[in-house]
Amino acid sequence: MKMLSIIIKDLKTILSDKHAVAIIIIMPLILMTILSFALKSSFSDGDYFDESVKIAVVKLYNGDEDSRMFDETLRNGIFSKNMGEETINELGDSSRDVDPERIFFEEFLGSDEVSKIISYRIVDEKTAMELLDKKEVSAVVTLPEKFVYDMKINLVTPFRNNVDIKVEVHPDKSIEGVVVKSVMEAYSSAMSSVIIGKNVIIEEAMANGVGELKNLDDVMEEVTSVIEDMNIEIKDVLVEGRKSITSADYYAAAMMSMFILFSAGHGGRMLLEEKENKTYQRMIIAGTSRFGILSGKFVVVFLLSSIQITIMTIYSHFVLKVQWGSIINTAIISAAAAFAVAGLGTFIASATFKAGNFKLANTFESAIIQIMALLGGSFFPVDVMPEVIQNLSFLSLNGLALKSYLKVMSGYGLNDVIKSVAALGLIGLVFLILSVAVLRGKEEHYVKHNKVKAVKA
Amino acid sequence: MLKVENLYKSFGKINAVDGVSFEVKKGDVFGLLGPNGAGKSTTISMISTLLAPSAGEILYDGKSIFDNQKSVRQRLGVVPQEIALYPTLSGYENLRFWGSIYGLKGDLLKKRIDEVSDIIELNGRLKDRVDKYSGGMKRRLNIGAALLHTPEMLIMDEPTVGIDPQSRNHILDTVLRLNKQGITIIYTSHYMEEVEYLCNKVCIMDEGKIIASGSQDELVEMIREKTQINVRLNRMDSLIAEKLKEINGVSDARISDDTVVLHGENADTLLAEIALKVSEGGMFIKSIDVKKPNLEAVFLHLTGKALRD
Repeated sequence: MKMLSIIIKDLKTILSDKHAVAIIIIMPLILMTILSFALKSSFSDGDYFDESVKIAVVKLYNGDEDSRMFDETLRNGIFSKNMGEETINELGDSSRDVDPERIFFEEFLGSDEVSKIISYRIVDEKTAMELLDKKEVSAVVTLPEKFVYDMKINLVTPFRNNVDIKVEVHPDKSIEGVVVKSVMEAYSSAMSSVIIGKNVIIEEAMANGVGELKNLDDVMEEVTSVIEDMNIEIKDVLVEGRKSITSADYYAAAMMSMFILFSAGHGGRMLLEEKENKTYQRMIIAGTSRFGILSGKFVVVFLLSSIQITIMTIYSHFVLKVQWGSIINTAIISAAAAFAVAGLGTFIASATFKAGNFKLANTFESAIIQIMALLGGSFFPVDVMPEVIQNLSFLSLNGLALKSYLKVMSGYGLNDVIKSVAALGLIGLVFLILSVAVLRGKEEHYVKHNKVKAVKA
Repeated sequence: MLKVENLYKSFGKINAVDGVSFEVKKGDVFGLLGPNGAGKSTTISMISTLLAPSAGEILYDGKSIFDNQKSVRQRLGVVPQEIALYPTLSGYENLRFWGSIYGLKGDLLKKRIDEVSDIIELNGRLKDRVDKYSGGMKRRLNIGAALLHTPEMLIMDEPTVGIDPQSRNHILDTVLRLNKQGITIIYTSHYMEEVEYLCNKVCIMDEGKIIASGSQDELVEMIREKTQINVRLNRMDSLIAEKLKEINGVSDARISDDTVVLHGENADTLLAEIALKVSEGGMFIKSIDVKKPNLEAVFLHLTGKALRD
């Protein structure tokens, strides 16, 4: 009952303060609206990558050896049993025009469409993993052993060998990873359609006698032309199961993630303000425990940031047409973010109370929030920022929230954001424990009074 | 009801309260008088369970308040020196909050808010925000917030600081009214006249110590100072001082301009004789000013300094 009274009173106190309402509610609504429109061009076609995604390609195969093996298979395999020497030679000559390496590197990765999205370098396996660790590349694409051989089998013969192209993505580059995986899926899909088309031609020719297999060169030319015509657009790739992020989406989530930090700032002032106004002492005299008061502040900051989130999501949805994705997932992320903010606010409250001045709370509001906003991507997407900032983004609570919101907006499930959600929960818990530790022992209290009798009497 | 025994409180090397002892009985209006920094507020903070003493004991109804904090806190009402209210909330919201903090709820809370707002005479303004109130209204609400849970004892720490005389009189009358309703009161002030007006028992504090205590009469008696009577005459005769000195009970008389300054005991009986002697001398009295010894004089006598130094 007491805590409920404290919570209601604190919420009323903050919400009756016009200055506080302007900062925590009005300002983010204005900023998200302005930024959504002002930076719309930076998010053209829903893509917010200004630079191409860097990948490393690892070749586990030996191209010459694979070609030699293929020639041998062509001459000695089951496929050539019913063919004459001349036909086999003709097929062998034509197959030399089908170069899977050239198709993959030049015609696919080198195409205008893909090269806009992805830039690659070919490295060995060890170097690739080092580059990935250092985040110098967002993903490593590994072409398997016998890649050339298997692809030639697939492209020239009626048989199909399995070709597993492995894509490894850095966990912090998940959005870029999605792009790389989607592009590779598009490659695989295009190749499959080519192979199926080719098989129909060859099988029909073989069913009618090998002699009917005319103009094999034309068939092979058809194969390569289909690949050349393969059109990959990142927009199309993302549409499949994933929604692209618009400027309104981005800045609604970015401003929300940033401005909930101001709730922590407000909460951080409340305890010392109460002490200076003597209402804290009055509550203690009335029998309220200081940890009860502190818990009240935690809940107040949690509710305040939840109110902010609710207002901003509703506003952005109806006014800016932001699609937040799954309501449940968004609510879970919001609860975790509000919990983290509440923990942080309570810690600032304890530390400010202990210090006896507002320097920490002032510094938090005027500097730390801005730094966290920068690191977390509330001003600009982290991916377009210098690597140093990208490497420090894990320090920002708002960055974790923003990352999670964007993923859910893109159509990802809870499993894809669970680490960030858990991290937010952990941050809240750690700060809450710290705040209790800071407040403990701050004041003399009657509980600890040792009832020393008048020693000086 | 309340017994303070050898109470000490140190802040570093400073002894804010230095061996204070006193007793407050049920129905008392007990005054703690002393200049700023005398240790009154620190003593009050310890009695109200906000501060732990460095040493000493405080007993409430014979039991240590350290062992019975919860029940003692419910029986005490504390009016802090500062306006400990929420300025952006209304008077009603403030009273409701403080009532609920003391565990009141529902109809009882509403009833107590009505009763208290009658006592502090703010019923017509309870819907207004506190930051719109005058200084006196804030002070009254500050008192009201301490009355909601119907305390047995009200501790008031300089409740009239910074307000106009009219509001001050209102608060002083409220204090007396509350006392008549059965509430025991501890009242701290550095205004001598407030303590004189309200309190039946007084402790005078200075530099953390109690330098005198008792009823007002006992304190005045302690310094053995006599009543001063200033008699202003239509004309001055140099012999009049000697004639007035002959009156039984007058210890001293001297002339100062057109006024004879006398000291003596029992001023009421002296006045008639003074008038007679003046008339016999062919003069008449233009004015008489009787100055009885007060707590200010007691403080001055004991410390060599004025209360507001």
